Amino acid sequence: MSPETIHSTQEGVKIVRATSAFDCGGRCPLKLHVKDNRIIRVEGDDALEPDQLRACQRCRAYRQYVHHPERLMFPQKRVGPKGEGKFKRISWDEALDTLAGELNRVKKTYGNSGIFLATGGAYIASLHNGGFAAARLLAQFGGYVTHYGNISSEGAVWASLTQYGSVMVGHSREDMLNSKLIILWGWDPARMISGTNSMYHVIKARENGARIIAIDPRYHDTAATVADEWIPIRPGTDTAVMVAMAQVMIRNNLHDQAFLDKYTLGFEQFTAYVMGHEDGVEKTPTWAAQISGVDAVVIERLAREYATTKPAALMDCQGPARSAMGEQFNRCAATLCAMTGNVGRSGGSAAGGLMGIPVGHMFRMSAIPPGKNPVELDGPRVKGTLDIRLRVAKRVHINKIFDAIVEGRKGGYPSDIKIMWSMCNNYLNQTANSNKAARALKKLEFFCANELFMTAQARYADLLLPVTSTAERADLTRPWPSGPYFTFANRALEPLGECKSDFEIASELAERLVIKDFNPHTEDEWLKLMVDLNPEYQKHITDYDKFRREGIHRVEMREPYVAFKKQIEDPDKHPFETPSGKIEIYSQRAADLDNPSCPPIPKYMHTPEDRSDPLVEKYPLQLLSPHPKNRVHSEMYLVEWLQELEPHRAWLNPFDAHARGIKDGDEIYVFNDRGKIAIGAWVTARIMPGVICIFEGAWYAPDENGIDRGGCVNTLTKDAYSGGGAAVMNTCLVAVEKA
Amino acid sequence: MQMGFYFNQTRCTGCNACRVACKDWNNIAAGPENWMRVQYSEKGKFPDVFVSYMIAPCWHCLDPVCIPSCPSEAISKRKQDGIVVVDCDKCLGNEQCDEKCLKACPYDAPQFGPEKGAKMRKCTLCLDRLLDGKLPECIEACSVRALDAGPLDELEKKYGNIKQAEGFTYSKRTQPAVVIKPKSNPFQ
Repeated sequence: MSPETIHSTQEGVKIVRATSAFDCGGRCPLKLHVKDNRIIRVEGDDALEPDQLRACQRCRAYRQYVHHPERLMFPQKRVGPKGEGKFKRISWDEALDTLAGELNRVKKTYGNSGIFLATGGAYIASLHNGGFAAARLLAQFGGYVTHYGNISSEGAVWASLTQYGSVMVGHSREDMLNSKLIILWGWDPARMISGTNSMYHVIKARENGARIIAIDPRYHDTAATVADEWIPIRPGTDTAVMVAMAQVMIRNNLHDQAFLDKYTLGFEQFTAYVMGHEDGVEKTPTWAAQISGVDAVVIERLAREYATTKPAALMDCQGPARSAMGEQFNRCAATLCAMTGNVGRSGGSAAGGLMGIPVGHMFRMSAIPPGKNPVELDGPRVKGTLDIRLRVAKRVHINKIFDAIVEGRKGGYPSDIKIMWSMCNNYLNQTANSNKAARALKKLEFFCANELFMTAQARYADLLLPVTSTAERADLTRPWPSGPYFTFANRALEPLGECKSDFEIASELAERLVIKDFNPHTEDEWLKLMVDLNPEYQKHITDYDKFRREGIHRVEMREPYVAFKKQIEDPDKHPFETPSGKIEIYSQRAADLDNPSCPPIPKYMHTPEDRSDPLVEKYPLQLLSPHPKNRVHSEMYLVEWLQELEPHRAWLNPFDAHARGIKDGDEIYVFNDRGKIAIGAWVTARIMPGVICIFEGAWYAPDENGIDRGGCVNTLTKDAYSGGGAAVMNTCLVAVEKA
Repeated sequence: MQMGFYFNQTRCTGCNACRVACKDWNNIAAGPENWMRVQYSEKGKFPDVFVSYMIAPCWHCLDPVCIPSCPSEAISKRKQDGIVVVDCDKCLGNEQCDEKCLKACPYDAPQFGPEKGAKMRKCTLCLDRLLDGKLPECIEACSVRALDAGPLDELEKKYGNIKQAEGFTYSKRTQPAVVIKPKSNPFQ
């Protein structure tokens, strides 16, 4: 029976092969059942096992997102005070004339640097992408100021570039079947889709005999399913435990000196730090135990087990690196991988936090060419630099967008921002310090948001432009980290209501701004061009029509991809892409930064809002904000099928709950100097005492007293970044009381 | 022939993709009517914790007690595959009969929507899909491949004969059509 066969009651249904384009680490083939311009059902991939790429609960609810009754269906302009959320329907002509008028006004009055473009990752695709169309338009209009970095992974990116000179640090997930030991360090693929099927492969690895250790403040969903051992650890102290593991290995001569001699640079300097020759403090398990709350005996045993079980995969994710010295975590993890000789080895890992392989990676996706931004032309050369200070000379760090709006040039930012045009993001909600973001958006002279929903941020707009969903467009899509496959999302629906794509909006604006030849191609022509001109597609896709028809091209790999295999097998012919050609445990480029928060070797350092900060007296709990399971960040927030899976509640250990008279299900306030949220308590032994966990992405909804009733975790987080550019979301102190 | 479910409890992460896919395929609104449910269990004290999940569809029991409980003979068991089905035209609705089938069922499988007079509906093992040669939607939706369905004797041959697990008690009276790979609970 053909996979296309559907039940006889489904007459008039067409099957469209597509994917979503959410800001997700998975990208899963979907068969959308479409009737009368409505998706009526969603089925998953129909490849034969073991190649099936199975969608998660989020895309199983895709149609409730696409057809949600609260989708924005026509342009609107603000009628009440800013932020109140009162809007009036207007025509597209009035909307586009208004935006063009504001762009012209600001350009004339303040210059192009008064225009801020906020792009984003809400849809990851080639043509309808996070804001390339708007960037192209504004570049041709004379320029704009925009943001640098991404809110998730900067620590891991900085660490991987420093250590390896490359961001392709992952293995095929299937390679975990070759591991004897897997350490999940801040990695929860059951909830955070880190490549389609990743959790399945972790399970298969365990069934294949691998021992699995989870090191995390939480007994998360992955740990609860597969971990043989859970080692609870205080947030922000992972690096201290890793350094102590290195100390155990060095003291007992358990490290792979031959590997270190052959492939790395700077192990001596690292040893001097670890053994206390540098600062007089030997980084023993006892030293790390006091910092991390992990028993010294456990650290000693963990170090021995990791050093002597081969091959072993240390899977360090990005969560612990979203912290005040986040890049040290991924660098130190990578250093342990080198000390144990697990880099470039099947069943091992290189760490680095990014977990991507160079086949079908998001970083190598095609996009609309944005062109050079005239406002940045006289800026520093930033290609390849590790110096975040250069990165923010002409741009604004993503976790500082709203501070930049409030403070402007006098605060050290590149411009005084007067208006903001935003698409594919909900940064008020998804970058730190939402209360400050709300104040900043009210301060703007004009704010236009391209949006699908009345998000927390959209409520502050002066002009709302309704955007199509991925189901209403055709596109080339990719996951964050890994193929090995390429997907084509066929258009399932004609645009709903009066929605337009961001590219159509930019194209119609171009006419009003008298920019010629802005968009010379149709959607189909663009997509064909993008495949034809991208070397990676050209290497793998010989039949474009077949690729489009099937919605997917799977790349057959003879064996699982292993990062740096070539460099290890033949280091002379294939040096690492660092200046020395080696794995740089000591980085001269980092030393040259002359920035104490970015030392040349990985180190544990105290930071503001860690547990040694005197602020802990006032705000005694450490706050974590991991990925939610019933939405993609703040996308899909309104989807009822997903909302009902898990109430939005804060994880609290019974010890902390009891001390505050809090019972399971009680409403609590979580607060610090930045804000206060109301949320239900989930009292659970799955989180260590002294730590509270609130999943990110719930929509900010302040009441008249300024209490965020939506429970947006970023009402509490700090708008700052580490020396390597990591947003410091998981370095955050709060207090809790019963409401 | 008797169709049944297989559930590998050791793989279940509690993601609920099965439940959402069921609602999508069968077009059921968010709310109290859930043909597939995923039940959570947590045991122990920090840091020694045990977590498990148990799916809760209709088990299409060999001796379904919902059938004799129904005052209007709306529920029946199909001879050819043992699937328990309900005729909504015959069902009196939850106001007139006080949900007798739900009260009788040890697994709370009969489901009712939120509206007054809602008729009983429940898991059909995706009979429509089975007739098309496909597996039930929940099974194809499980991203960790913890579910299977098929003739019960074949499932028993393939996966063993265990029918007990944390969060699930096998009813000797109704005889649910299920095979389980249970997660071992260190606190038992």
